[in-house]
Amino acid sequence: MSRKDRIRAQRAAEQLEEPVEEAANLAERLGLEPYPVNYWIVDYAEMNELIAYGGFQQRYPHWRWGMQYDRQQKQGQFLGGKAFEIVNNDNPAHAFLQESNELADQKAVITHVEAHADFFSNNEWFGMFAGRSSRRDDESEGGDSRTRTPDASAMLARHGDTIREYMQDPEIDRAEVEKWIDHVLCLEDNVDQHQPYAPVGDPDVPEIDEDFEDVADQLEDLNVSDEVKKQVFSQEWLDAQSPDDESITFPAEPEKDVLAFLRTHGMQYDEDGEKAVEMEDWQVDVLEILRREAYYFAPQKMTKIMNEGWAAYWESMMMGEEGFAGDDEFVLYADHQSKVLGSAGLNPYKLGKELWEYIENSENRREVAERLLRVEGITWRNFQDVVDFREVQDHLAPEPWLEDVPGSLDEIPADDPRVDAEMLREAKDGEFDVERYPWKVLTYEGLAERHYSLVKPQYRGFVSRIGQEDLERVSRYMFDDSRYESVAEALADVDFARGWDRMREIRESHNDVTFLDEFLSQEFVDENDYFTYEYTQSTGDYRVTSTDYRDVKKKLMLQFTNFGKPTITVADGNYENRNELLLTHQFNGVVLDMDQAKDTLERVFQLWGRPVNLLTIDKVFDEHDVEVARRRDREPEPEDVGKRLRYDGEEVTVQEVDWSEVEHLAADDVDYDTKPEEWLA
Amino acid sequence: MGLREDLERYRAVGEERRQDLAEFIQYGDLGQSRQDEVRIPIKIVDLPEFAYDQRDMGGVGQGEGAEEGDPVGQPQPQPGDGDEDGQPGEEGGEHEYYEMDPEEFAQELDEQLGLDLDPKGKKVVEESEGDFTDITRTGPSSTLDFEHLFKEGLKRKLAMDFDREFVREALKVHGWGPATVFDWARDQHVPVSKAWLEETYEEIDDAEKATWDSIEEMEANVERTDTAARIRREGVDQIPFRREDERYRYPEIIEEKERNVVVVNIRDVSGSMRQKKRELVERTFTPLDWYLQGKYDNAEFVYIAHDADAWEVDREEFFGIRSGGGTRISSAYEVAMERLEEEYPWSEWNRYVFAAGDSENSSNDTEEHVIPLMERIPANLHAYVETQPSGNAINATHAEEVGRHFRDAGDVAVAYVSSPEDVVDAIYEILSTEEEDA
Repeated sequence: MSRKDRIRAQRAAEQLEEPVEEAANLAERLGLEPYPVNYWIVDYAEMNELIAYGGFQQRYPHWRWGMQYDRQQKQGQFLGGKAFEIVNNDNPAHAFLQESNELADQKAVITHVEAHADFFSNNEWFGMFAGRSSRRDDESEGGDSRTRTPDASAMLARHGDTIREYMQDPEIDRAEVEKWIDHVLCLEDNVDQHQPYAPVGDPDVPEIDEDFEDVADQLEDLNVSDEVKKQVFSQEWLDAQSPDDESITFPAEPEKDVLAFLRTHGMQYDEDGEKAVEMEDWQVDVLEILRREAYYFAPQKMTKIMNEGWAAYWESMMMGEEGFAGDDEFVLYADHQSKVLGSAGLNPYKLGKELWEYIENSENRREVAERLLRVEGITWRNFQDVVDFREVQDHLAPEPWLEDVPGSLDEIPADDPRVDAEMLREAKDGEFDVERYPWKVLTYEGLAERHYSLVKPQYRGFVSRIGQEDLERVSRYMFDDSRYESVAEALADVDFARGWDRMREIRESHNDVTFLDEFLSQEFVDENDYFTYEYTQSTGDYRVTSTDYRDVKKKLMLQFTNFGKPTITVADGNYENRNELLLTHQFNGVVLDMDQAKDTLERVFQLWGRPVNLLTIDKVFDEHDVEVARRRDREPEPEDVGKRLRYDGEEVTVQEVDWSEVEHLAADDVDYDTKPEEWLA
Repeated sequence: MGLREDLERYRAVGEERRQDLAEFIQYGDLGQSRQDEVRIPIKIVDLPEFAYDQRDMGGVGQGEGAEEGDPVGQPQPQPGDGDEDGQPGEEGGEHEYYEMDPEEFAQELDEQLGLDLDPKGKKVVEESEGDFTDITRTGPSSTLDFEHLFKEGLKRKLAMDFDREFVREALKVHGWGPATVFDWARDQHVPVSKAWLEETYEEIDDAEKATWDSIEEMEANVERTDTAARIRREGVDQIPFRREDERYRYPEIIEEKERNVVVVNIRDVSGSMRQKKRELVERTFTPLDWYLQGKYDNAEFVYIAHDADAWEVDREEFFGIRSGGGTRISSAYEVAMERLEEEYPWSEWNRYVFAAGDSENSSNDTEEHVIPLMERIPANLHAYVETQPSGNAINATHAEEVGRHFRDAGDVAVAYVSSPEDVVDAIYEILSTEEEDA
């Protein structure tokens, strides 16, 4: 950075000091508990670089950062694409602001980042990596989980240093290291992300039976024909050489953490010697480093919808509703916001934000319903008929002084729980700009009422759309059902913060899969126009198949369960007693991309050193059925066929296997197909 | 951070040292761009992983009024799958293209390559209207220049005006009649008519006709007022508007020269042009087309395919044709010349003639026919792109011959492309040739 640049950055930083401080204050007022955030002002090129490197300054050397940078830079140039926020999960979190952005954008980024930082620090899935790693690294600290931090920047920098050293080591061929990294990266999603990260080498991981290995290896090395082997070494004798029969088949349970298994039992393939040899130390080390990073990044991948939606929700709350953007900045902000949320296709920001809003509304509505059902004479049966929803809206509307704080300073009661008496006094004394920061005068309760979702114009009518079922469920658990004499009295007791309270609870314990599973409802799908689509054989393109929320949910779950990837487990490390690796694909009705599976298998071979197999189930269409179906304009029904892919270092072979071999892989209670019955031939 | 190294590593993917990844590189197809939009494929390296079959997976979209059975766009546009836009909503998918409009593309290329090609205006387009600064004598009343009319009227009035009282007094000089006064007035540059004098003389009482003994006496006793003072005192009661003073404003006609360009793309489609070479031609020609399209107001394209004979084709066909025949490059230039003379006169059009092939040509054709033809076709730029992905064939000397002959010419470029990486250099070579000339 030249001197001039530094001065410019300095000036940009000064201008942002206040927004940064106030955004954190506002976030806290709104009930968030973000990690402290360090903001860095960077220029355009640095920003692109950070994005390319996943938000961290130091990573291991790899071409994919180069690719991402190239793409990022060109997109910026050619598409005018703007980086909106980059923040990494750490305590303190680090966020980066692009110097050349407008102030309105900077503020939006800051509010967005605060919400992410809150998510990082409170979501349990994030806590899993943080808690575990810091306990190990820093035994003495222990204690409160909020003090345990991922310490990510340092960890990733360390990884980078280690791998860089290997690459520079004259004893090690740099290209070999690069290739090894790529082999491992092909399996980066094949970890057990629901378990906390634990370095391989823990005593509870079973070891291979070395003796048996040796005998098998020695036999290989003898280079005699199978016939001779069979005659000289009987199977009984071989079995006797292994002290424990059960250890021949391992792991005992299918292992989902494929990388861990390979780390323990894998070997490298020696091209020259044409055989498997032990991994070099650096190979073991690199594998473990990449595995650890996979665990570190897993929570981000597991909570994309929730986390992005959370940030988008609070950003819009702070920027739009709380006027964190000045009037003059608001238009610019709204414009950019719409660009982010308005991108084509299924957008996790949008889906997440919509779902959070829906949760807020439903929770608030439940609160209202619970109050109303306690009114004398209102039951779940007559609810829709006797409740005057316009009247309800009027009662729910916030007090006028909550809406116009600066204009009603004199009327605001200092002893009200919704008011921060101290700040009210300061506002009156003109100690801060109350026009600009009206929220400072209010407490969390006050802000909850000020921003109560059900009275917003776009959600009017939400209360009246409550279904009979919901009403019945609510009333089922109510005992004091005639506590109030009037609607007014009932609604005076409404807890305006209930929606927000509930949202914070959810952001603590859920991940995308459980989030979608629990909160995606028909009402939500209808309101936001979601639908599913499938590829249809008869037309050769994708067709809308359903707008039923159960189908939409199914498809979304498929996209977000296990990172949207098929579940592959290690079934056997000594397949058919030949030291081959057997992977199995837990079939949920959706087949593998076979070409990619073959390519991946070739990479797995490099980490196993010996032949590798994959058992899967494929769908096969009978030509005759396809033809018949086409003529009837129907969908042909495929037949499920067991297949074994095998790579022996030379070529991939695919073999059909008997159904009995794969039957255990087929889950019969899941069905991700959303095609309507009547489409089938 | 080792950004530079990582970029280098990325570029090296698929090259010698990292040949193992070559199969995972996808370069998108170039042929899908529309007229108003340029899609630049990017090099994507996709490591394999265990993944679902995209088709079997289906997905979720968002869009109003989706009905069972409605088609949706490709969830993830695969290279070569056509570019239908997702209708009720589509899967985001990784961007495999940078999209921009040709103008931006040209700008970008200028910046990247340090080019500064200044398109020449040629054909005069219909006059475009400038400001209303021209004037005519007729026109709609709304465009009447009233200020002009008034000023002219005022001038006329001033010119015609005279001190009536004073001239009247002159008629009272003893012995002077209208004729004498008229002569006197002429001397004095007073614009008075004889008719007025005669008329006024009639009106004067006979008794008064000898008020003054001499003109000197009159001049000494009667004060004379000049026109300006009189108007100031009495005001302008009437301005004589005359038809001849009417002027109508008219928009200035700006003779705008449109920057027209015609690009002739010539491609060898003979048997020796295999898939790889074909792609290289496309990779080179397409950006050139985009560039010129972005640079000029109006770009037209002529596509000529040739083996031993040449014929004109549509763009869609152009890159796909394969034929068996031999090669005679001059056949294409003959067609090009004919087309250019017919429809794109050099006086009105900027012309670019780009040809590509593997440099194979029938014997002597280059020297005896192609080069003379190139000299006879006036153009901003002639270029030949040799695509030779696998070393040189023995009789592939066209590029070399052309290059040698036109070594010193500023309007002929020869470029060699043997892999996608050479494309940018070739484009630079070609476009910078004209720039030097200009």
